[in-house]
Amino acid sequence: MRAMDALKSTNRGAMALLAVFLCMAAFPSLIAPYGPSERSMPYQAPGPEHILGTTNMGNDILSELIYGARISLLVGFASALMATGIGLAVGLTAGYFRGALDEVLMAFTDVVLIIPKIPLIIILAAFLRPGVGILILVLGALSWESIARVVRSKTLQVRETGFVMSARCMGFPPLRIMASDIVPNIVHVVLPKFMLATAAAMISEASLSFLGLGDPSMESWGAMVSSAFTKGGFIREMWWWYLPPGICITLCVLSVAAIGFAFEAGEGTTVRVE
Amino acid sequence: MLSCRSWIPGPPGGEEIHRAGRKVLRYVLSVCAIIAINFALPRLMPGDPVMNLIGEDAMVTPAQLAEIRAKIGLDRPVTVQFVSCLGDLLCGDLGYSFHLHGPVAGILWSRMSWTLLFAGTAIVLGALIGIIAGALSGWKPETRRSRAVTCAAMAVSCTPPYFLAMLFLAFFAFRLGLFPAKGYYDVLTAGSVVHHLLLPVAVLTLFAASRNLLVMRGSVVQEKNSHYALYARAKGLFGRQILFRHLLRNASLPVITLVALDFGFIFSGALFIEIVFSLNGMGTLIYDAILARDYPLLQGAFLVIALLVVTANIIADLLYGALDPRVREGGV
Repeated sequence: MRAMDALKSTNRGAMALLAVFLCMAAFPSLIAPYGPSERSMPYQAPGPEHILGTTNMGNDILSELIYGARISLLVGFASALMATGIGLAVGLTAGYFRGALDEVLMAFTDVVLIIPKIPLIIILAAFLRPGVGILILVLGALSWESIARVVRSKTLQVRETGFVMSARCMGFPPLRIMASDIVPNIVHVVLPKFMLATAAAMISEASLSFLGLGDPSMESWGAMVSSAFTKGGFIREMWWWYLPPGICITLCVLSVAAIGFAFEAGEGTTVRVE
Repeated sequence: MLSCRSWIPGPPGGEEIHRAGRKVLRYVLSVCAIIAINFALPRLMPGDPVMNLIGEDAMVTPAQLAEIRAKIGLDRPVTVQFVSCLGDLLCGDLGYSFHLHGPVAGILWSRMSWTLLFAGTAIVLGALIGIIAGALSGWKPETRRSRAVTCAAMAVSCTPPYFLAMLFLAFFAFRLGLFPAKGYYDVLTAGSVVHHLLLPVAVLTLFAASRNLLVMRGSVVQEKNSHYALYARAKGLFGRQILFRHLLRNASLPVITLVALDFGFIFSGALFIEIVFSLNGMGTLIYDAILARDYPLLQGAFLVIALLVVTANIIADLLYGALDPRVREGGV
């Protein structure tokens, strides 16, 4: 009982946290004290004019922080959406039709699962010099495999139920059966996976921007930590420069992941790794 | 006779051969895919492959460009290129880094051993700590300590490794001055190496352990309701005895799968931590290669890391068989 209460309260906390980040992403110009291109004295310590000081370019760190929420959440949710789409398509097809198609699709999924993501994304990003769009495409195209596996195993169960059988007997086409009979019954396992994929994509985005492979036109949190690291903020112990964006990444990912875990626990479906 | 059959593992049945065959096929396909990606990337990407190969910092005339193109064989048909590429790979030739003026294989090899030492230590320690701490927190998930540990593990696994490394470096090395801030050693002695590696290994271990802990915890929570655990309790064993003698082995199976699949992820984490601690290994090599747009080196690094991951998965499969007789005897 206590565990359930604790779960509910963490869930509420995570929701509130995510809501704050969503507000930051939706209305940065209302919250941020300065615009993204306003400059003043560089390397300022926190003070009344700049609550978190300024960067090497003289940008206000608090404003950068608020504008940074947008790119992190956009990349996270958009690429997770894409990954979920691919995962659903692959998992449904493999689970519903079974047989040789299943073998081929699952072999493909296993291969994608085994190829190390971050190194591959690093070379892709290095070749493509990405904008946000390409980042989303690459992350989405490489993180669907665990969703596909879960969807397949659930589809295998659902396809044997009475209502799917009768729908098939009545001659509905497979696509129709998948959309109206199977998908509604697997949403509850897909939703937590979607949140966890979002969290993973946000970490990947932060990692890529730390390597300088993010979108150069938008200062994301990872890029802020990176510039603090490479432009002397870290060595000079200017903690107000690298600590806030790092903490924002952690809190944002944590809130999304906690909501995902809460969905998973709430549905009583424990999904094991294998 | 019948009961003997189930005790003595007989010759492998058809089912087992089928499973093993599928596993082997999966690894062969993975290696093929990795090689194919490596081959296709520079040819499919925007821009002239030769210009990508050389990088932007070298000045070449059109004549030299054509010469290099012919030398690498880019003017030949794609199939011929692929066959010669395979041949090169088999000879351990990963191409030439025009930026560092050396063969990629040699450069990677000289840098890799340190990274492997550092990441390998952390992966093993992380697995052990994750399994034990996860088992304890899954055994009594309601206690305050177990909940605190789980929350901490969640927070750590949601933090980018480089940020965790920066926090550790700022606190333990800059503020407290307990550890050196950069490099693998001052003088090449075991003491110096350990002193330099302690902090980065701690960060990576923490990161790996927290991921393993979460999975192990869930696994123990499931396993402790099984019949054999109940039987062990009925036999009169105490809590910890049930956990460590009976549950641990079964419950750690998902963790072994995770450690193998996570190998690439943790190894990538090691690369980021190396960058923060200025360790002269593969991470800093890749970082410099990104800044210099040294594509042959990046590709070589990807190939090596990907093959390491495949190897780790094969090892995990063998370990899995050794720990779980159901898999070994082709049951389940």
